[in-house]
Amino acid sequence: MPALASKRRIPVSHLGMADPHQLFDDTSSAQSQGYGAQRGPSGLGYPTASASPQAAFLADPVSNMAMAYGSSLAAQGKELVDKNIDRFIPVTKLKYYFAVDTLYVGKKLGLLFFPYLHQDWEVQYQQDTPVAPRFDVNAPDLYIPAMAFITYVLVAGLALGTQDRFSPDLLGLQASSALAWLTLEVLAILLSLYLITVNTDLTTIDLVAFLGYKYVGMIGGILMGLLFGKIGYYLVLGWCCMSIFVFMIRTLRLKILAEAAAEGVPVRGARNQLRMYLTMAVAAAQPLLMYWLTFHLVR
Amino acid sequence: MIQPQQPYTGQIFQPTQTFSPTAPQPFYGNSFEDEPPLLEELGINFDHIWQKTLTVLHPLKVADGSIMNETDLAGPMVFCLAFGATLLLAGKIQFGYVYGISAIGCLGMFCLLNLMSMTGVSFGCVASVLGYCLLPMILLSSFAVIFSLQGMIGIILTAGIIGWCSFSASKIFISALAMEGQQLLVAYPCALLYGVFALISVF
Repeated sequence: MPALASKRRIPVSHLGMADPHQLFDDTSSAQSQGYGAQRGPSGLGYPTASASPQAAFLADPVSNMAMAYGSSLAAQGKELVDKNIDRFIPVTKLKYYFAVDTLYVGKKLGLLFFPYLHQDWEVQYQQDTPVAPRFDVNAPDLYIPAMAFITYVLVAGLALGTQDRFSPDLLGLQASSALAWLTLEVLAILLSLYLITVNTDLTTIDLVAFLGYKYVGMIGGILMGLLFGKIGYYLVLGWCCMSIFVFMIRTLRLKILAEAAAEGVPVRGARNQLRMYLTMAVAAAQPLLMYWLTFHLVR
Repeated sequence: MIQPQQPYTGQIFQPTQTFSPTAPQPFYGNSFEDEPPLLEELGINFDHIWQKTLTVLHPLKVADGSIMNETDLAGPMVFCLAFGATLLLAGKIQFGYVYGISAIGCLGMFCLLNLMSMTGVSFGCVASVLGYCLLPMILLSSFAVIFSLQGMIGIILTAGIIGWCSFSASKIFISALAMEGQQLLVAYPCALLYGVFALISVF
């Protein structure tokens, strides 16, 4: 909205002449700057034995200064927020994960439901930085997990509503329990990665993205359960569990396991075995969580 | 530093201040004739409001990218109140839910659009667009006053109106933010938001 200055109207009784018996300036008049709410302490303490123009002269610099100070304070505050928000939420890094388009989302959803025919799971690089998700279907993104999470909460609400168990606080409960499980997963995997001392380029945000893909399968399961009952739910959920298991193994294999193992050559060694176990554990946790978070919604 | 009295003469988009070193006396006389009309001063421009409403109501009409340059919250406010009023006619006193859902939805769309687009958006712009595209939802809730929406016809009508709202909203966002190939991606969260509004109307 463009800044609007409020208008000042001089009361008819006060056309330029201050009451010499006044102990302070009458700040309800148009003597102060016409810029709005910024009224500095111009009135207090100024004995107005003088005529109005001089009172105006005395009043205005202070109110002007106060207004300038106030606006610079606001600008400083905004700058502070802008600078510091980058420390807590890495906005530019997040923007990479949202650089998606419709084609990518379509292909990725197809991959999540049917990963068996996809051959090349390697993310393409462009001079040391991974290519944006728009250009490579293997790159992780955060659009799908975020939308899937919100859709899951709404579909859970719908499912509870059809069973007459709905109330708005239950929605909040579903949302926070799913979020809590996600956080727990991320922390557990980060801890295991640290203990096994794996050198990967798997960032935390990447991990959140991969772990968020299971919500798509969960939504499918719940919707089928709503339409076709328990049989539909178990069928679709079983299919999605298998798909997400294969998807996670194939994706994480490239990120966690050693180079040679990723290409299919069996590599001996305790370290590599540990990494393999970790990958299997992460992939196996997905179907378990998918079942755990949805079975109470389908009756 | 002497700051003499300045009469306010502003245009609707660029408030200007003219410094005239005049004595305070003629101030009262100048200001009354020079003051802009009330609506212009408040920033309500009926022609723009009407244009934006038409853009929402014709889902197939191509949107002009520059109509969202000034954020106008007067129109959306009216639409939200009208939505609450039609819900009231159906016996549901749910202004609180409407307010809460629109606040959370606008915040969510604001974050998402800032992350997805090259140029950023301001919160006012997001709130303005989402508010304008609430207009077809008012149609839905007025139908709900007359006959219940819980049959097959009601479901089809609801789905159609949600699609209409999200399509218009995504069309305006795409043209205002110059995002290519992402219309469906923007339409989906809008559809979720309007879906929740529809839930309130139907149930």
